[in-house]
Amino acid sequence: MQQHSENFLDNASEALGNKSQAEFRDLMALFTPLVRDAAVQGFEGFDQLRSHVKRIRQHSLDNLDHYLDTYEQHALENGNQVHFARTGDEMNSIVLDICQQHQATRIAKGKSMVTEETGLNDFLQRADLEVKETDLGEYIIQQAGETPSHIVGPALHKTAGEVRELFLDKHELGERDLSEPADLVSEARSVLRRHFLEAQVGIIGANALIAENGYSMLVTNEGNGDLCANLPPVLIICTSVERILPRAEDATAMLRLLVRSATGQPQTCYTSFYSGPRREGDLDGPVETHIVLLDNRRTDILASDYREMLQCIRCGACLNHCPIYTSVGGHAYGWVYQGPMGSILTPLLTSLEQSAALPNACTSCGRCEEVCPSLIPLPELLRDLRHQEMEQKLTPSRWRFGLKMHAWLARHPRLYQFFTGLGIPLLHLVGRRRGSFRRLPMASGWTSQRDFPSPQGKTFMQQYKAGRKAQ
Amino acid sequence: MTGSARSEIFARIRHASRGAGAEQIVGELRSLGRAPAAALPCDDLYTAFLVNVLNNQGTVDCAADRSGAVAAVGKYLYEHYRTHRLVAGNDQRLAAMPWRDAGVLPRFGALEPGETVAMSYARLGVAELGAVVTFTGRANPAANNLLAENHIVLVDGAELVPDLEAAWATINMLTAEEGRPRGINFIAGPSSTADIEGKLVQGAHGPRQWHVILLAEAGEEIVEKAREIATPG
Repeated sequence: MQQHSENFLDNASEALGNKSQAEFRDLMALFTPLVRDAAVQGFEGFDQLRSHVKRIRQHSLDNLDHYLDTYEQHALENGNQVHFARTGDEMNSIVLDICQQHQATRIAKGKSMVTEETGLNDFLQRADLEVKETDLGEYIIQQAGETPSHIVGPALHKTAGEVRELFLDKHELGERDLSEPADLVSEARSVLRRHFLEAQVGIIGANALIAENGYSMLVTNEGNGDLCANLPPVLIICTSVERILPRAEDATAMLRLLVRSATGQPQTCYTSFYSGPRREGDLDGPVETHIVLLDNRRTDILASDYREMLQCIRCGACLNHCPIYTSVGGHAYGWVYQGPMGSILTPLLTSLEQSAALPNACTSCGRCEEVCPSLIPLPELLRDLRHQEMEQKLTPSRWRFGLKMHAWLARHPRLYQFFTGLGIPLLHLVGRRRGSFRRLPMASGWTSQRDFPSPQGKTFMQQYKAGRKAQ
Repeated sequence: MTGSARSEIFARIRHASRGAGAEQIVGELRSLGRAPAAALPCDDLYTAFLVNVLNNQGTVDCAADRSGAVAAVGKYLYEHYRTHRLVAGNDQRLAAMPWRDAGVLPRFGALEPGETVAMSYARLGVAELGAVVTFTGRANPAANNLLAENHIVLVDGAELVPDLEAAWATINMLTAEEGRPRGINFIAGPSSTADIEGKLVQGAHGPRQWHVILLAEAGEEIVEKAREIATPG
């Protein structure tokens, strides 16, 4: 997928300018944390579960060579063909080769962030293949020519009215009533059912790969991923190397966290485990199955201080709780992953140069870390990336100078107190009549959006010392 | 391409892994213990299972034996579709049911276009999730789970387990005996979506209705109690 993360600030300003969209995001920002909280409160021992799954994932990553090898052996035993792709381009080429070997022209695709990352749809469409996304949200944005605004609800930025207009435009079905969301769902169901039945290749992702038996886990509510996995004669599972867990029970322990954190459900409708092609005597199922395992810099992350980021289960809870994401929406981030997890993954999977604005899109409020089912220290990793930006001189020189000055002063408390002891009373004198400043030198970034309150006359340290003396 | 990619990726992972031996890894994994499960809505396993099925937007019924189950299916088909027909996989347990007694006309095989109702006999039910588990194969083609408008699932009370860990213990035992099926499906509700404005709509791509029949003594009491406790959203 084409990356536009360098335009984050412009994208964000534009998003904030669209009043109705901003209001809708405000509503979602209230609603989504409520449903997550209710689901978490309904599970006694949620923190214990988080810690357990964290230890399992840590163990899996520490021994990933062992588990990947075990997984591969079982997957091959189950009759799959297993492919490895170092880059997104390699994954796309492997998938296209398989499709071409089968002279496939129609592809039914389930939701997969990995293939969004590699830009698989565009790649296959350039080779004249008809690729249809079948998750309703993904289908809507594909028809609209847009990109996902949320990793779980990719089309949540669109109103029912917009989807209605889109379907009336794209589906040549004459006059019909599409007034309710249920009518829209029904129409998508009948349009896509035909595609499912005619597709020669199904492509899905995986929520987990299980080392002990070579199965892959697929979690959906719609059942579209299962239709992709069961109806076309060829199935390709596109996923990445860090999805591996030791045992099936580890995958379903993670599932308990995923469903509650993502949609606030106690359980999704379909949780399926697929092992390979159809067995002797089976009446349906694919006759050939492929698993394509993507690296795309994940092994770099594994060897780095950002390793914990590989424990992300793509639930979207950090997006729903982030004041920046809920204000500016997902498109501002300019790539596949959004919000706090996206602001870490995007620089790591692409480059810090291209996405330098993202780690700064953080108020350090810590809500993301609080709700993260994988207990990833997201604010800390974002801070580390900002630190790296400073070191690589990606931060504007004015900022770097200012921060260095501040750091130097903070390390010299007497001087710090001397300067603030001069500055604060001065600001108090100048600003006391109005009570605030509309403009301040060297703080235009602050005052362009809001007034700066005038200080009360003394610094904290001056008041503290006076208080101690009085005692 | 993929051969050299494989060795390169493995080399990079080995470089970042600890290089522990298999025995040590197995021991460490075992020492990590067991995950906590969700609490059941009530003490009785059968009732808890049905409560969660209802909470998952399923409908429920019960029968004390196979004749009762057939009668329940016949009644349900007639009330909802004014039909006696359904499709079921080549499951010996389903084939042995006294269908004629209730006038039900099953066709055994995979669902064909135009057929509305499919029936499965679950391998087990999981109370924690309110889910039934089916294996793909001759006894239960995947199309029957996915392409029907209405999916009726029969589950034996004796085959209910409390949580996911117990479910895997049973599944691992079954697959060790029968071999690994192509698909293991946990089904917990009719197909649904909230992709348009977050509003829940049933019948996204799969079945619009999901009806679970529990085979158990004193079933009627259990169903009544489950309906009292359930809080479908």
